[in-house]
Amino acid sequence: MNLRKLLNNLTLRAKFIIPISILLAASVTTISSYLLDRQADGFRKELEASGETRIRMLAHSAESGVIFENIYELEDILNTLAQFEDVQFASISDVENSILTEFGTEPAGLVVDHRFHSYDRDTDKCNDFYGNDINDEEFLEFNYPIETRKEEIGRENLGLTAGLEGGQYTTETVGHLRLILQLDKVQEAISDSMITATVITIVVVILTILGLAWFVGVITKPIKSLVEVTDQVSRGDFSKRAELKQQDEIGHLASTFNRMVDSLEQSRDEIEEYNRNLEQKIIERTLELEEIQQQLVQSEKLSAIGQLAAGVAHELNNPLGGILGYSQFTLEKLKKFKERENAPKDIDKFIRYLTDIETQARRCKTIVQNLLRFSRSSRTTDFEDVDINQVVEDTRTFVEHQLHMNNIELEVNLSESLPVIHGNGGQLQQVLTNLIINAMHASPADSIINVFTRYSPPLGEFSGAIEIIVADQGTGISPENLNKIFEPFFTTKMVGKGTGLGLSVSYGIIKDHGGEVKVDSVEGEGSTFVVVLPVKKESSESDTEDSSEIANRQEK
Amino acid sequence: MARILIVDNCEIIRNLLTDFLEELGHTVETAIHGQDGIDKALNNEYDAVFCDIHMPKKNGYQVYVEVSGKKAALPFIMTDSLPDDLANMAVSRGAHTCLSKPFTLEQVRTALSEIFIKDTADESR
Ligand SMILES: Nc1ncnc2c1ncn2[C@@H]1O[C@H](COP(=O)(O)OP(=O)(O)OP(=O)(O)O)[C@@H](O)[C@H]1O
Ligand SMILES: [Mg+2]
Repeated sequence: MNLRKLLNNLTLRAKFIIPISILLAASVTTISSYLLDRQADGFRKELEASGETRIRMLAHSAESGVIFENIYELEDILNTLAQFEDVQFASISDVENSILTEFGTEPAGLVVDHRFHSYDRDTDKCNDFYGNDINDEEFLEFNYPIETRKEEIGRENLGLTAGLEGGQYTTETVGHLRLILQLDKVQEAISDSMITATVITIVVVILTILGLAWFVGVITKPIKSLVEVTDQVSRGDFSKRAELKQQDEIGHLASTFNRMVDSLEQSRDEIEEYNRNLEQKIIERTLELEEIQQQLVQSEKLSAIGQLAAGVAHELNNPLGGILGYSQFTLEKLKKFKERENAPKDIDKFIRYLTDIETQARRCKTIVQNLLRFSRSSRTTDFEDVDINQVVEDTRTFVEHQLHMNNIELEVNLSESLPVIHGNGGQLQQVLTNLIINAMHASPADSIINVFTRYSPPLGEFSGAIEIIVADQGTGISPENLNKIFEPFFTTKMVGKGTGLGLSVSYGIIKDHGGEVKVDSVEGEGSTFVVVLPVKKESSESDTEDSSEIANRQEK
Repeated sequence: MARILIVDNCEIIRNLLTDFLEELGHTVETAIHGQDGIDKALNNEYDAVFCDIHMPKKNGYQVYVEVSGKKAALPFIMTDSLPDDLANMAVSRGAHTCLSKPFTLEQVRTALSEIFIKDTADESR
């Protein structure tokens, strides 16, 4: 666990170099120690062979010396060993093992470590072994018999008779030869080789580490530069790119990374752009909100008026009903009286008075109804498919007589390609009537009022709209009045001629239709009112068929 | 001619409708508030009822619901000084129509003739 942790914390370079160096050192050491072993083995075999050869030759040349017990000759023979540095000790003894002569110093307390087989296996004459003396020094000991051959019976005087044929011989052991060799030289050679091998191993490992370090550096350098760029990017600096030309995996990584930074930079720029836009949007929305708030204040005002109107209407409608009903009732009766022969003379006067009363009562009724349009309960949301051109035509028939009386001409131009809209035809007609009557009031005699319809087809998010335009050549509206004309009760007309409710009611109706009313007016030249109605169809929400039926009846 | 009940807490409207309907030849009775209207409508036979909406004791909608629960065939003409949901609800549950005040005599005539034409049509079937 700890080792893994340690490994994880190493740099990439160390991760490469350390394990490879360890592996390399281990394998070089293993190989060289194996080779050293082989070499040591070889040295020993060589020593064994040369020892064997020497002892044989000695045994051969010592034959006569032993037989004749010629000590001087034997000494001479042994002294020839002085030319060999590795001879520790040698001795020649007779058959009874009493030493005849010796050379060098015998190692004390030599104990057999292991025997080895000489190549002269067939005769089992040798007895060769490695052994250690009391100082734990290693020696190699050879024992060899000194033999003599007896070839022919006749030639020998030993009196042995046997049916042996000529050319045959027997061998007889006459003494023993012992040779002990030092292993110093071998040991020295081995340790020499060991030092060489160690040095070579160390050099190889160091060279390898250096080579690896360089090579790994070549591999990790691009990674390092990539890491540097990554670092910068992570700190939000998108100015640098990893500049790697190579075609390998790292090059691929770098170019992928560059692409990632590109798109990061792009998204950041976009976000900043968004932020800037957002500020702009917030400003716009704030303005919109302020406008809406003003509208809300306005509509609050209107709804307060609406509530008041509802209360007043309720109180007023009953007496008004009495006045209207009774004046009509009486009128009808008077008209019947008039047909009788004995009708009073003043009856025409009475009829005129009552007609005035009835007319004014109807007018009151209209005013109260206008007032009521502000109260929510009076607003019908009974929407259906409406043909605006039809609405204009209906309005025209309705107002034409009045216009004619004032010598004002109404010119109507209807667009032929109007789609139907979702709305309330009666209410729209009321709006249009209001606009035309207003125009009429402002227009001088012999002038023209233009009414036309227009269609703006859908475009993108805009779902299309119908415009109804009412343009007159009348007095126009002064700039200070332009802001006020939609306020309830604002009028410039004489008392009794205008209530100042026409435009505010119209405005409410068009708002209910999701549309708007725009004015353009130049004092002394005329005014243009534009009613914009969206074409987008919306299903009417809460109205049941029944309640719409009632609404229709109330309109009557 | 028909027997007609007028339910309205407003005297001038009661008087107006009484005078007008009697002139047309109908027999008229009046009730001065909602509960009064219910009692009269259930205890006597009428051919039609004029019924105001905003009244003390019981409002016109309640009157309509209670009476029509027992006399489903009795036609109701609601009269209302404010266009509101109560009148709409009565009409949606089967009242013949609703006249918003101030109504004209013409509207009254039309409503009545609708009822009686329907009646005669029903009878002739
Ligand atoms: N086409 C127009 N030319 C000049 N002034 C106009 C025109 N339309 C409206 N106005 C001005 O706007 C005022 C408000 O108009 P609005 O229709 O709301 O009320 P009104 O016409 O005075 O009264 P009402 O319509 O209730 O009888 C008018 O009194 C008039 O001064
Ligand atoms: Mg007006």
